[in-house]
Amino acid sequence: MCVFEALEGGAAYSYRAVSERQDDRTHLVRQKKLARDSAHKHPVNQLHLDEATPGELLADRMANFLGSWKFIIGQSIFMTCWIIFNIVAIFGFKWDAYPFIFLNLVLSFQATYAGPILLLAANRAAQKDRLTLEHVELEASAGDRRLRDILARIEENTAYTNQILGELESESAI
Amino acid sequence: MTIAHLREKKQASKGHGHPVNVVHHDEATFGERVADRMASGIGSWTFLIAQSVLIVFWISLNIVAFVSHWDPYPFFLLNFAFTLQAAFTGPVLLLAGKRQAEKDRLMLEHAAAEGDANERRTIAIAKEIERNTASTLKILEHVKKRRDDSLKQGSGI
Repeated sequence: MCVFEALEGGAAYSYRAVSERQDDRTHLVRQKKLARDSAHKHPVNQLHLDEATPGELLADRMANFLGSWKFIIGQSIFMTCWIIFNIVAIFGFKWDAYPFIFLNLVLSFQATYAGPILLLAANRAAQKDRLTLEHVELEASAGDRRLRDILARIEENTAYTNQILGELESESAI
Repeated sequence: MTIAHLREKKQASKGHGHPVNVVHHDEATFGERVADRMASGIGSWTFLIAQSVLIVFWISLNIVAFVSHWDPYPFFLLNFAFTLQAAFTGPVLLLAGKRQAEKDRLMLEHAAAEGDANERRTIAIAKEIERNTASTLKILEHVKKRRDDSLKQGSGI
């Protein structure tokens, strides 16, 4: 009787229309998308996001900043201004005339850091992937135990049913 | 059936069935859509081949005296163009990574909710079987009692 007593406490499963349940599920995901920093339900999300170390948090934040529309649009504006100022000399002088060697250096500098930050983010993602699989493995064995338990119950039921059948058969034989 | 279904889905970008796909793809905001399209545009054979062709033309036209050399050796402007591309692909890559991480997060949250629902269903099944077994046991006792009674009656006469 084992496995289920520990799980008890959840309300009995109610049978509802499939479409209604589908809507509920989509709604839940929608809510979670909007509530970006709220507490998570899944253990892997809890460990990976809610309990991230300062270093991990910084890595996430850097990757999120570099990979944001704010950054991409800001960089575009910055670059356009730089190039325009150095073509038409708005301030009366050109600090980096064509072919913009200094701007080239600045952008190379950005790219030099973007690479490692990208790998930092990829490492984080790989770590999450690893944890997810470990979690799936644990869940699978718990699910296996539950199924075995159900099978044992059905076997018990079948044994009683067979006894009844035996009784009835011997009765009609008389 | 399933692989034919999937083949259809591979071509389509809308009308998903899974809640996470619905929220992440069908209900993506404008910015998210543009980000997805940019990432898939840069990471495509069309882009790679077009870029290669452009570079080959640029270099050959600036080596061979076919037209006037707008960017002679060592191709400063081309270098600048490369840097420009790299300066944008990095952030776009991270943008795509962020999208992927969000999907991952939503998938796990969905899995957690589904896991809970499954657990409840499994408990309900186990309880139902237990009730059935209790009834079966009562029937068995009833049948046994009836047999014992008829045996007693038979021996009594």
